[in-house]
Amino acid sequence: MVGNDLVDLNLAKTQSNWQRKGFLEKLFTVKEQIEILNSENPFFKVWLFWSMKEAAYKCYVQEHQKRFFAPKIFSCQIKKNNIGFVNVESIEYHIKYSFTDNYIYTIAEDTNPKKMVSDIFFIDEIKNKTKIIHQKILCYFPETVQLQKNELGIPFLYQQNKKLPFSITTSHHGNYGAFAISN
Amino acid sequence: MTKEEIIVKLTTIVKPYVQNEEGFKNMNEETDFIKDLEINSANLVDIILDVEDEFKIEIDNDSMEQMLSVKATVAIIQEKMNA
Repeated sequence: MVGNDLVDLNLAKTQSNWQRKGFLEKLFTVKEQIEILNSENPFFKVWLFWSMKEAAYKCYVQEHQKRFFAPKIFSCQIKKNNIGFVNVESIEYHIKYSFTDNYIYTIAEDTNPKKMVSDIFFIDEIKNKTKIIHQKILCYFPETVQLQKNELGIPFLYQQNKKLPFSITTSHHGNYGAFAISN
Repeated sequence: MTKEEIIVKLTTIVKPYVQNEEGFKNMNEETDFIKDLEINSANLVDIILDVEDEFKIEIDNDSMEQMLSVKATVAIIQEKMNA
């Protein structure tokens, strides 16, 4: 399984106020809140942790086929630059993240990482982001392969009415789009 | 407070976070915040905090977990207000 999440940092500045009363308490564990508040750049840490939780959640949903909003049950740990873990129940997801001044991009994989491809790209604000992301994914497959989302919003690939054994994850926020595929 | 009154207040709360105006025009009990209104998942917490302020209730983690749709949110608000 693979899950990804993307945060456009310029949009995050205006779309959310992480300093709002109750915001950190609802989303982060006590340990994470302390780490955020002691950080040199709390804004960045908020969105890095959030993106790790979202990427892990997207793996979890594929596996368990149910949706919910419980960011605090996903606990984040950063090991070294660009590597971390997210734990939920007895599961540990491996995290890889990258960032620029403009975005944070995070990929979560379950404990058996397989072959994986991913990409992050700029998308003009006015374009249909979902369509562009889907076209980019389909470039990796023969023309007869199609992409759809199930009732939980999880994308999957199919060919001649048969579901293909790939894990697909997509994300878009502000001026960026991204996807990852694993088998 | 009736279900209809709660939905009216909830509509005002979610409005600033909506990214699919078509979905918002048709907002009803079956509406899903993420699938139908394309609300950014990080803004769900703003909706929850706004609901707490507006209805003067406290939403615990177990309730928050279900708050992805209008229906579930209304049920939680009613439950907390009657508690």
